[in-house]
Parts: sequence; structure tokens; C-alpha cells
Amino acid sequence: MHDFGFWHSWLAVGLATIGTFIWRFAGILLVSKIPAQSSLMDWVNTMAYAMVAGVLMLVLVYPTGILAASGLDDRLLGLVTGIGAMLLTKRIILSLLCGILMFAASLHLF
Amino acid sequence: MPVSETGTLTANKMRRIAVVDALRAPALALGATMAGFAAIAREAGFDFWMAISTSALVWGMPGQVAFASLYSAGASLLVIFVSVSLANMRMLLMVVSAADMMHLHMHKLPMWRRVILMQFLAITSWAHLAVAETKYPRHLLLSYFQGFSLTLFLFGMLGTVFGYFLPDMLQPDLLQIIIFITPIYIFLLIVTARQKANRLAVAIGSILCPLFYPMAGEWSVLLAGFVGGTLALGCGRIIARWNLSERR
Repeated sequence: MHDFGFWHSWLAVGLATIGTFIWRFAGILLVSKIPAQSSLMDWVNTMAYAMVAGVLMLVLVYPTGILAASGLDDRLLGLVTGIGAMLLTKRIILSLLCGILMFAASLHLF
Repeated sequence: MPVSETGTLTANKMRRIAVVDALRAPALALGATMAGFAAIAREAGFDFWMAISTSALVWGMPGQVAFASLYSAGASLLVIFVSVSLANMRMLLMVVSAADMMHLHMHKLPMWRRVILMQFLAITSWAHLAVAETKYPRHLLLSYFQGFSLTLFLFGMLGTVFGYFLPDMLQPDLLQIIIFITPIYIFLLIVTARQKANRLAVAIGSILCPLFYPMAGEWSVLLAGFVGGTLALGCGRIIARWNLSERR
């Protein structure tokens, strides 16, 4: 492993912070330019939803860290069960429990 | 939820409702997610203060994970900067969307307060804001966001501390299940989005992104967001027009 020194490490933390902050700041500047209830705002929203869904799917399909020890089938089964329960019942905590329990069962049974 | 009390809701009451909403599941789930990040960060060679600073200052999980993995690989500072920026670029759209939902321009906050407010924005608080938008009056959503996101932040910090110092306390199997909670929870929030076009965007984005990933890597999220969001809006418009002409 390449070793980062003290200042080098904290510089990296600073750059990671700035790399995120610029988007938040750009968003604050941009919002005053986009009229509310316009097609452009609708587009921003659909893109935000699609991106968040995409990020979550990456976490589930190509996980890093501890979650990577589970199987793709376990994770997708949990997701599908949770979504199915949500569409049927519209109750989030109940559906969350269904998804998590299915994931847990799938981990240990199959 | 106390919709009947809407008439007498004050900003303080709204903040309290938001804190309770956060404690109901998302804060604990996010704490666990951050514990997962702290475990990755420790493995990557972060000391405690680096791990907690990253959680507090970046406050966006995909960027944090990208940072930790690149750090452990000994990547250059430029690569770290570019990759984290790329991984958290969706913040731009989320900030615009959240500010619009909260009617931020009506509150006439000075710039520094808007900056601090948006520093606390993360996927969970954004998705919950969209749910709160359907339940509570618009002028109180700013208070809702304050209560919700601060509670979430507090639990995120606690989770980072626990995850850093006690990674061996929980069985890996159990930890896996706990870390699974946040992505599923947010998924359940966004698949039930009120606008049909947004639900469609979730469906298209979640299918496209894993397909793009092997070719496009970190860019896949942006690509899936752009293509998915555009298609969803277009399809939503066409369906709406079709329904309209059908009714005539």
C-alpha cells in the first residue's frame, strides 16, 4: 500500500470535501435560475430520481465492503420482496421488514 | 400522521415531527450505513479523525466510499478529487430539487445559511422531503428538513464512531443485514413517488445504471440519470397527452 503522509492525507480529505461542496453550491446558485413548476424543474426532478435509483442499484448490484459478502440473488430477492410489499400495502416499515427478512432468510437458507 | 393538526402546526412542532419521523427508522439505518463506511475507512488506513471528518464534511455515501477505496489504493490527489466529485455530482440536482420543494426563495435566507442548510442534504433527507411535501404545508417544509436532516446527521456521526471502534462487535452476517436497510428503505420511498414521471424515472434509472456500469464506471450514474430522467419525462408527457385526448 502506498503510504500517505499526514498532510497528504488531510489534503485528500479537503479535496473530497471540496469535490462534493462544489455541487451543493452550484445547486444553490442554479435554483434561482430555474422557474418553479416549469418543465425544466420537472426534468431536474426526473433526473434526480433516476440518478438516486441508479446509485442505489449500483450499491445492490456491485457492492463494496461488508455487503459484498452476500450473493447478488440474496440482495435482489430482498429488493423485489420489499418493492412488492410496498406496492401492495403502501406501508413502508412493514415493506422494509419484508425485504430485510427475505434478504436475511435468503442469506441463510439458500 | 397528524394531518388534522395542520392548521395549528408551528415551525417548532414541524421540527419535532420531523425528528420523530427520522427516528422511526431512517436515522438508525443511516447510522448503520455510516458504521459500514467507518469499517471500510479503517481498513483503507484512515485514522479516526479522518474518518469522522470525511463523514461530516463530505456527507454523501457514494463519494465517501469512492474516497476510501481510492485512498487505500494509493491513488493520486487529482484522481481522488475527480472521482469523489463524479460520485457526488447528483447533489447538484438534489439541491435544486430540495430547494424547490422547500420554496427556499420565499424564506429569504442569507447565502451562508443556504449553504449550511444544503451541506446537510443527503439522499435520505431528500427522499423524505418528497414524502413530507405530500403531507405538510409548503412553508413548513424548511423546518421539517432542519429537524430531519440534523437528526440524521447526528446518527450518521454516531454510526461513524461506533463503526470505527467496534467493527468486530457485531457478527458480519448481522452487520450485512443492517447495512442492507438503507438502500432498500430509500428505494421504497422513491418507487412510491407521487408524480408518475418520477416513478418512471426510478424504474428506468435503476435498470440502466447497472447495465452502463461495466462500460462507463463512475459515469454510469450520470448517464443513467440523464437518459432515464429524459425518457421518463418524455414518456410521462406522451402518456398524459394520450390520456387527455382519450377523455375527449
